[in-house]
Amino acid sequence: MNLSDSKKKLAIAGIICGLIAAVLAKMGNPANMAMCIACFVRDTAGALKLHSAAAVQYARPEVIGIVIGAFAISLATKEYRSTAGSSPMIRFILGMIIMIGSLAFLGCPLRMVLRMSAGDLNAWVALIGFAAGVATGAFFLKKGFSLGRAHETNFASGTILPILMAGIFVLSVCTTLLAASEKGAGPGALHAPIAVSLIAGLLFGAVAQKSRMCFAGSIRDIILVRSFDLISVIAGLFVVMLVFNIATGGFHLSFTGQPVAHSAHLWNILGMYAVGFAAVLAGGCPLRQLVLAGQGSSDGAVTVLGLFVGAAVSHNFGLAGAAAAAATADKPATAGGVSTAGQVAVIICIAACFLIALTNKRKGTK
Amino acid sequence: MRKKELRLVVTFHTTADAMAMEKECKENQVNGRLIPVPRSISAGCGLAWCAGLEDKDTILSMMDQVGIEHEDLHECMV
Repeated sequence: MNLSDSKKKLAIAGIICGLIAAVLAKMGNPANMAMCIACFVRDTAGALKLHSAAAVQYARPEVIGIVIGAFAISLATKEYRSTAGSSPMIRFILGMIIMIGSLAFLGCPLRMVLRMSAGDLNAWVALIGFAAGVATGAFFLKKGFSLGRAHETNFASGTILPILMAGIFVLSVCTTLLAASEKGAGPGALHAPIAVSLIAGLLFGAVAQKSRMCFAGSIRDIILVRSFDLISVIAGLFVVMLVFNIATGGFHLSFTGQPVAHSAHLWNILGMYAVGFAAVLAGGCPLRQLVLAGQGSSDGAVTVLGLFVGAAVSHNFGLAGAAAAAATADKPATAGGVSTAGQVAVIICIAACFLIALTNKRKGTK
Repeated sequence: MRKKELRLVVTFHTTADAMAMEKECKENQVNGRLIPVPRSISAGCGLAWCAGLEDKDTILSMMDQVGIEHEDLHECMV
């Protein structure tokens, strides 16, 4: 069945992705984090010891599966195109910005939608920032922003990231080289069984590739061409997770008491503003970057490398947001939020987005 | 709901080219509109220019004049 030739079928693609997320939530992934590209890349970066935050180290098979799933389906359907050369270093920086902004908020756009479906009002607040960031990026697209065109390159070039991802998976299963959070240490220790995670990632990647699922692109297309195609995929995902959360008692409409979240509204908004802005400049949200990398784009792969380094920077320098926590026998309650260093980093990220947007124009644009 | 018909779809290397196309077509009063690239012809999540098949020559000549390069030309149901 072609999942992409009508809004209804696109919504079905979103429903399939929602069902995959529901299975992962049921099988042990962290609460409201059934699938989060930023969190899972951050966990994988921790497993590779790019950072040493003990609570978030685990080679997530979902991320690996998404890249390989997109690679396999694009090969099978002749959509694999090995391309490269569209301002790779700027894309690397945009990848870092996307990750730093996401970790200030504690989630990528995908997790933002999952949190919204669980009644987390902090995520609804962050949506304001994300949409505003996408709108700002769209404004600069209209003004002629461009990172230049990509060119066809050798077939092998586009296979590098899928191969590296497969290598990480082999290392995680066959050796003890990679770090893994110990039980009770934090979100990194909570996960579905490896086989379930891998299969879920492969399916998610394949469906995302066929449907062109993109959280930033869905809002960008509404702004630029009044097209609601991509948002129908997101709507399908949202509805499934909303039903799942209500049915399983996971829906709590509130700002407080939400898992892995904080209520520093300004920084939730600004963090996701940076993510939305950078994602439009880079041509897609974190999920889309994984999928583009899988279908042969070395520019997408460089952006993914930026995500990994951004995760390492966030945790090595204390930029990531801290989740609010209820009081326990040993510790008092904490409000969580974003550290001063994290706040400065988010501001720098936004300034960098403006600088990139203003200094990269299509040739011939005045 | 708009009825699908066979139309000309022009794809571009960059979104900026698509945006420039929209601007130039407006200025030169050339028919058509921006659409998301149809999934049947490309794996990109970019934008394309959609117009009637009869406008093909006008569009190509205008693109040549204003220096907009197309990636490909397609005829498909949109």
